[in-house]
Amino acid sequence: MFDKAIAAIDKKLQRFDPIWMAENGKGGQRTRYYDKTGVAKYREWRGVRDTMVDYVAWLKNLASMARMVASAPIPCLKGFWEYRWMGSYLGTFMFIDRLFEGYRGYELKIAHLNMHAIVHSLTRKIALILSNDRRLGGGPLTDVMVPMDEVLPPLFMTGFKELVAIPLQLLPEFIVCDIDQHNNPYYIDVAESFGLPADVCSRCAAETGVAMDDAFPLIGKAMVSTNMPCNASEATSMFQRRRIGMPDFPATLAMMHNEPGGNKFSTQVLKDCIAFIEKEYGVKYDWDNLFKHAALMNEQNRIELEKWDIMKTPYSSLVGIAETLYRLYQWAAANGQEKYFNKVDRKVIKIMRKSYSEKYIPFPGKTRHRAFLWGPSAVYYTDFPTWTQNCWGINIVLNMDSTMGHNMINTSDPELAIEDLAKFTEKAVMRHHAVGGWDNFNAVWEWAKNFNCDMVLYNDNIACKGTLGVHAVMEEQARDLGFHFIFVEHDLQDSRTVSRQAMRNCINGYMSVVLGEEPLDPTIVEFDDSDAY
Amino acid sequence: MKTVAKIGGKVALTALIAFVGTFTLYITNGENKLIYYVIRPLLNKHYDNQVRDRRIV
Repeated sequence: MFDKAIAAIDKKLQRFDPIWMAENGKGGQRTRYYDKTGVAKYREWRGVRDTMVDYVAWLKNLASMARMVASAPIPCLKGFWEYRWMGSYLGTFMFIDRLFEGYRGYELKIAHLNMHAIVHSLTRKIALILSNDRRLGGGPLTDVMVPMDEVLPPLFMTGFKELVAIPLQLLPEFIVCDIDQHNNPYYIDVAESFGLPADVCSRCAAETGVAMDDAFPLIGKAMVSTNMPCNASEATSMFQRRRIGMPDFPATLAMMHNEPGGNKFSTQVLKDCIAFIEKEYGVKYDWDNLFKHAALMNEQNRIELEKWDIMKTPYSSLVGIAETLYRLYQWAAANGQEKYFNKVDRKVIKIMRKSYSEKYIPFPGKTRHRAFLWGPSAVYYTDFPTWTQNCWGINIVLNMDSTMGHNMINTSDPELAIEDLAKFTEKAVMRHHAVGGWDNFNAVWEWAKNFNCDMVLYNDNIACKGTLGVHAVMEEQARDLGFHFIFVEHDLQDSRTVSRQAMRNCINGYMSVVLGEEPLDPTIVEFDDSDAY
Repeated sequence: MKTVAKIGGKVALTALIAFVGTFTLYITNGENKLIYYVIRPLLNKHYDNQVRDRRIV
């Protein structure tokens, strides 16, 4: 009876469902948007059940944000007033809506479980940081916070149980650039107004701009900078340490991390870093506390490996941006520090096992290609994996960032644990497949093959000096190995140089001209979203 | 029994009103329209007028 009623409502309202509209030539995903803005006239109608799943997830995210403000009302208000990047977080709901357009069934449930974990964690972090930001009046934890570079995984810092490690660039730059395409260009302009050349990595330029604009929260007594992932990061670390002016330890991990001597070097760097923190903060490293958190990270990675096994098949309900964005945050920011992520991982793997046993295929019948994505931040603010699926049926099976450190960490012997941690840390964000020698770049083909992909999407950051050098070689390799291979040009966090539509056109051209395929949804082949967040 | 039914009725009515209110906001994309057309332009105006301590060192 209940099912019949739902079926009747679904039939009645199906004309509002963008997938039905595209299938019947009556519109599609873009129909419900105001031109250019990215503002939808109404939210996506996905049928009664899936719309309710989306609505409940929206409510949960809204509750997390309300809790954030309620837990620290004055610091939050001051934060919105002081920091331009805080204003950009207001685009979060629009960002989430864009990310999961076209998602239904199990893939929608998993996507929202993953996304809520990020919102849950991030809202707490914002309240914590703003409540202890010296600029806004400080708080009880100001002096026990350790600002550290976001690219350095904070797991090894859990050995300091009295201290709170904060990835410094996470809030003002790293996350917010995914939510609002107009945020980072402002900070890039600030850096360039001081003479920074315009052809450097825009992520590093934006971080430098945040430092020069005096827009980093002021926390802690000493900081940990890094050379990771690349030489441009070294440069921005130098600008940041000069401007922030605190005692600093540069954790310079081995660039050629596959070399036998690399791990030994990185292990010593971590040991020296621990000694620096002990001296500056007057605390002692507690290995048992590290082991406790390493066990949580090991569980996250064990589940991740099982997810990968399912993702190699067509029956994985963890797909696209729901996979890649979650893994990025779960690895780089939660990193064994937040039990909530273990809880979510357990729930997600349970759903994945169930959907696999039911031979459930996500985006039913719509996927034409399985792609391995080699893509950093530019794929998030453009909701690229979602768009490739909805427009051309290209399912992004795995992103390079998802392959970050997945070795297990010893939880009983300090000497073995620190060696494992060094290996784990060397494979941080944008390091695996991007830095450290030819083997790392070349591994892309092996990953694509193992995940049964017929396509590789390779983000071509026009300001990435390392990657530019291998452009032609990668193209030759793809031809030899028989992969459909598409370079997606972008300028990482500066959407003014290469617009979202220009990025999409890289795919449009290949799919229509080379493969001669028709789009699944013609309304999203070419559209103007230049004013959207 | 009557009191329980009365309280139950009030709870159900409150839940229904809350559902109708939040679902209307959700489906009409109300909060995003408010943020995009009203709140962010005001905030951006404020950010653009800020005097910041801009320097390298």
